[in-house]
Amino acid sequence: MLWILFYSFGYKPDLYHSIATDRLSLGQYKLAASNTFFQTFMGTLRISLTGTALCFLIGFPFAYWLSVRVPPSRRPIFLALILIPFWTNFLVRTIGWRILLAPSGIFAGVLHFLGLHSTALEVLDTRGAVQLGVVYNYLPLMILPLYVALDRLDPGLREASKDLGAGRVRTLFKVTIPLVSPGIIAGLLLVFIPLSGDFITATVLGGAKGNMAGRMIYDQFLIAQNWALGSAMAVVLILLIAAVVLFFGSIAIIGRHIIRYRRRVELAIAL
Amino acid sequence: MKEAPKITRILASEEFTHRFSRRTILLGSAVGVISGGLLLAGCSTSKSPKAGELSSAAPKPSPIESKLNMYNWAQYDDPNLVTAFTSAFGPAVQIDVYSSNEEMIAKLSAAKGTSGYDLVIPSGTYIPQMIKNGLLEKFDKTQLPNLAKVELALLGRSWDPTNDYSICKDWGTTGYMYDTKVIKRPMLTWQDFIDAAQHEASGKVSVLDSPPEVAAIYFWAKGFYWATEVQAELDAAEKFLVNDFASHIKAFDSYPGIKLAQGGYALSELWNGDARQGLLASKNPERYKWVLPTPRTELWMDNWAIAAGAKNPVAAHAWINFILDPVNAFTDMQYTGYNTGSMGNEEKAKTAKLEYLDLIFFTPAQIATMDTGEINSAQSRLVEMYSKTKAKAG
Amino acid sequence: MRDWVRPLFGMWAIAVFLFLFAPIVAIVVFSFNSGRSLEIWDGAGLSAYVSFLSNGVLHSAIRTSIYAAIGSAIIATLFGSLAGIVLARRPGKWQIFFVALLALVLVTPEIVSAIALLIWDVRLGESWSFFTNGLIRLWIGHSLFSTAVVTLIIRARMSGIDESLEEAAADLYAPPFRRFRQVTLPLMFPAVLAGLLLSFSLSLDDTIISTFVSVAGSTPWPVYVFSAVRTVLRPEIAAVSTVMFLLTLFAVGVVALVLRQSGSNARNITKTLTGEYGGNNRA
Repeated sequence: MLWILFYSFGYKPDLYHSIATDRLSLGQYKLAASNTFFQTFMGTLRISLTGTALCFLIGFPFAYWLSVRVPPSRRPIFLALILIPFWTNFLVRTIGWRILLAPSGIFAGVLHFLGLHSTALEVLDTRGAVQLGVVYNYLPLMILPLYVALDRLDPGLREASKDLGAGRVRTLFKVTIPLVSPGIIAGLLLVFIPLSGDFITATVLGGAKGNMAGRMIYDQFLIAQNWALGSAMAVVLILLIAAVVLFFGSIAIIGRHIIRYRRRVELAIAL
Repeated sequence: MKEAPKITRILASEEFTHRFSRRTILLGSAVGVISGGLLLAGCSTSKSPKAGELSSAAPKPSPIESKLNMYNWAQYDDPNLVTAFTSAFGPAVQIDVYSSNEEMIAKLSAAKGTSGYDLVIPSGTYIPQMIKNGLLEKFDKTQLPNLAKVELALLGRSWDPTNDYSICKDWGTTGYMYDTKVIKRPMLTWQDFIDAAQHEASGKVSVLDSPPEVAAIYFWAKGFYWATEVQAELDAAEKFLVNDFASHIKAFDSYPGIKLAQGGYALSELWNGDARQGLLASKNPERYKWVLPTPRTELWMDNWAIAAGAKNPVAAHAWINFILDPVNAFTDMQYTGYNTGSMGNEEKAKTAKLEYLDLIFFTPAQIATMDTGEINSAQSRLVEMYSKTKAKAG
Repeated sequence: MRDWVRPLFGMWAIAVFLFLFAPIVAIVVFSFNSGRSLEIWDGAGLSAYVSFLSNGVLHSAIRTSIYAAIGSAIIATLFGSLAGIVLARRPGKWQIFFVALLALVLVTPEIVSAIALLIWDVRLGESWSFFTNGLIRLWIGHSLFSTAVVTLIIRARMSGIDESLEEAAADLYAPPFRRFRQVTLPLMFPAVLAGLLLSFSLSLDDTIISTFVSVAGSTPWPVYVFSAVRTVLRPEIAAVSTVMFLLTLFAVGVVALVLRQSGSNARNITKTLTGEYGGNNRA
């Protein structure tokens, strides 16, 4: 991996070579961070943050349903049903969306039938299609750790909260979520990190509009064959991912301290 | 509504003629030309006796390897020919595809002779540099008797005057095709392409996934030479592509024909054979219109060449000789829609009543507006420009 | 009060299942499309399967995938098992470092690992032609990630087993190798088998690393499909996808069965097959 760092200071000498490192410079970083490319990095972050949030919003109620509402004897069946898409080839699943979203495909037909949309569907090759695709592709990675965490939770704790007079919403926010927070954090990371580096979804569904950083790196390595620029882009991507994780991590830690502190104060006042 | 039955009838009859003509050719060749048997051998199941016959037609060099790795443009050879080749000569053919010469050259040079490919199909202008950089292997012409079947005008082109390294696979041009339901005005020039892309077709435009041909849209529209080395012209092109054009692009797609004809794009820059494939696959081809744009456009010629370090040279020669055979060359042309440059192609195509002949063959006046361009110092600039355009489009 | 929530959850769950299965069903259904282009339905038929059966390139792609999967599964299981045993039985000072290394492998975006592997392969390939062999490149690339996964599975299994059994065998004068073969191995066998099949399936489906490291003549099937995405998608792509989908499901089903037989509960099976032991950035 250090080679990536080393190569990122190199340059592309000519059409026939992908890398030279006899002169080292920061030139590739300047190019990678220039407005043109930086726009794609920002777009990637937008897609991956939105995607992670959507995965959580869709996945949490589902995992909650699976671990709380479904009787334990039936859970393995539903789990198996989640595992099937998870074990279907990533690329194949994504191509499936191309079929569904085709301009005169199935979704267009359904919408037309419902009278919601009459012309050809124009979802493919847009940023929206990529957003949909990543939420779809990474949803199982959110559901599974959430399920494992919720499943471990003692139902008695929720009942105790209810017995003490807490409402449903209050129980959710004050008891359930804090207790499964390790599962939530695992889910968020498991979705956010690979999603940020994804290039397959963008290539299959994105056209020119839904470009992502992973795809730029792919292009530089395998098509333009400018390994120096590609390496610099990879380094920028890693730094951005790390920055986002650190940022939200520190917010979470500070947030927890504030809540604890306030709780302590409330308790002191009550006493 | 009134017209519907008529259209169906026309389509049905067209399909019938197409199928009929193909069968006639197959029959005719089986009787007349010995190597026609090869084709039948590939299509029918009784292959062994026919295959034996044919080894007398094409010299079968031995020992032939059991594999042939081709690095090719997508959908560039009739799969039936590939099957026929394998059943006649033995080598299993493995085909990987690329979207631009740059991609292919980069892969060959990155691998430094270990790419594993035997055959590549570079466009003519790239050949001198590829030879200079040792990416290609010399032909053994004794294994290629069918070189004599290629149209004279296509031999000895400037990039390889003695055809020691390369031989024409086919040639074609770059134009565009549009959906007449979206673009209602007449379209003739590259400037029309740009105008439509910036207005009614905005967000539904595809351009070729190939650096020089993206920049060329601007050069052609402005009347500059499309392989210009003039700094100011290159700067202007970059400025235009990144700031004024990128945001209208829906996709970088080297094979947009079929998608266009299904409503995926409204305007696509494409090669003539791809346009033809799109029209053939479309249920209402009269809705889409092909334009050979003025004032100037590209003439490209793709060439068979053997990659340096090829592990299966005998099989590679056998394939080239096989595909240069006029019968096979004609079949391949029917499939790709690009003129394979074998003698007598045009007459055969007229007799066989192939559809959209004007997308395969061009008049001398049309050819006079086409330039082959060249590979020069602007190359890496074009690739950079193209990466930026791609980033800006998203 | 309680009753309006229950159906809401139920509907949500149904919606999620529909969402998750829609594209897979689409692929399976469209593999019976007899048209020329995958995305446009043109009547039902088996022509896609016929052309898949006669497509030699696709066959060799699948063969490559299977060879790559077998090789990398063996490598990953071998190294992963050894590392897992060591981590569970003889934790030392360097253990933290080692676990951190595993975690690093598991959280690196796969594209970064892929370009790192490509750079290594090309550099080493200049001196040793060993590294220009496509299959060997795939073995190395695929086993990198699976080794980490197998290590974690084995470690979890071994730390759940009391070491006293092995000590008892030692007290009864069983020589080390026999002790390993007759006591340790049967105990860890379910986990080893699970790791083997898991890394087999991971390799069979890997797209990202394969795209970067594969060379001509040894193209695994996802790379073939990916290049079709960039050009023209034909129904036979759906046909091959359906076949491979069934193959992977079969392998994963066997893993679940093995784990179940060996007494794992549903939660542990889930953990093995998914999130907690890696599988995180598989694609």
